[in-house]
Amino acid sequence: MIQLKTMLNCIDNSGATVVECIANIKMKRHARIGDRIIVVVQKSRTMGDASPGGGPGMGAAAKVRRGDIRHAIVVRTAKKVQRKDGMVVKFDDNACALIGKNGEPIGTRVNGVVGSELRDKKWSKILSLATMHV
Amino acid sequence: MACTKPIHSPLHQWHNIFRALPMLSPLSARPLSTASQTTTPKPRIPPPRLPANISQKVFTPPKKIKTYPPPPSTRNHHPFAIAAINEAHITTLDPTGARTRLFSRSNPDVPRVGDILLATFTTGDPFSGICLNIRRRGPDTAILLRNRLLTVGVEMWIKIYSPKVRSIEVVERAVKRARRARLYYLRKPKHDRGSVEGVVEEYLKRRRLLRSGAVGVREPTASAKNPSAARKGVGAR
Repeated sequence: MIQLKTMLNCIDNSGATVVECIANIKMKRHARIGDRIIVVVQKSRTMGDASPGGGPGMGAAAKVRRGDIRHAIVVRTAKKVQRKDGMVVKFDDNACALIGKNGEPIGTRVNGVVGSELRDKKWSKILSLATMHV
Repeated sequence: MACTKPIHSPLHQWHNIFRALPMLSPLSARPLSTASQTTTPKPRIPPPRLPANISQKVFTPPKKIKTYPPPPSTRNHHPFAIAAINEAHITTLDPTGARTRLFSRSNPDVPRVGDILLATFTTGDPFSGICLNIRRRGPDTAILLRNRLLTVGVEMWIKIYSPKVRSIEVVERAVKRARRARLYYLRKPKHDRGSVEGVVEEYLKRRRLLRSGAVGVREPTASAKNPSAARKGVGAR
């Protein structure tokens, strides 16, 4: 149940770690797995700020900064999701992956488990980037 | 003429004009809504002609109305209809009855809460976890498994009679019988057991060896303290 002010973990390598939902797109209800939302980056990995040439650690510069407004896809919800076959899946946290305006993911990988509902919602790209799906 | 009288107001003149025109006066006297409804009078329907001997028939006793017995009640034939339907569903979904036997309370090796269960699906990807709850509701019987996948806790309700479920196996028994029916406290960080992937991996490895008929592979010895560990892996399918 992702709605205004919900804080989500960002699990891709775009640089954001915690984002806040500010709007749900094209719906008047809370967002579920596979829904597109607008988020504002609240926390990001500070990489390459002081030394843009080659920061310590991973080397990949953060593509987003704190305060950026981006689109994102919900990949995990703490609210139970019932599937067509009767199975119900629930995660311990809310998580999302950032995408650009054109729908392409900003990060190049998604670290963590995501819900299989992404396939039904036509986000197979994020599903294939993810390390695991349930 | 209108000029014969002294004119007191401009409205007075209009009044006289309307009076002179009898065709317009009824329209001006009524609001437009009623004027629009003005139609031709409806043709009067003559009252029905009553038979001449009506006065005699009024007091005759009414004819006896034929009554019919109620239709035969299906309830008498099927006093436990819901139970019968549930049973029919279960026989369709589980023709061999193996799943029913596995989860029946009379089975000594019935999966209990706190056990680590492994469910495999027809799609191929399995799901394992600690059983937090068993909801026994006839054909809707389901188990709640909890696991930790890549640092994130995941819970899944699995319907045991679902055609998508290929098998349900007991990977490891709880050391002690849980004193609660629902182990929701395992969600709390204090009690969370974490991932069970390692246990399941070991179980699958051992099972693979057993099935391939490798020599020298034994079931882990059951200690006297934990006799239930000897039943590991019992109750597949």
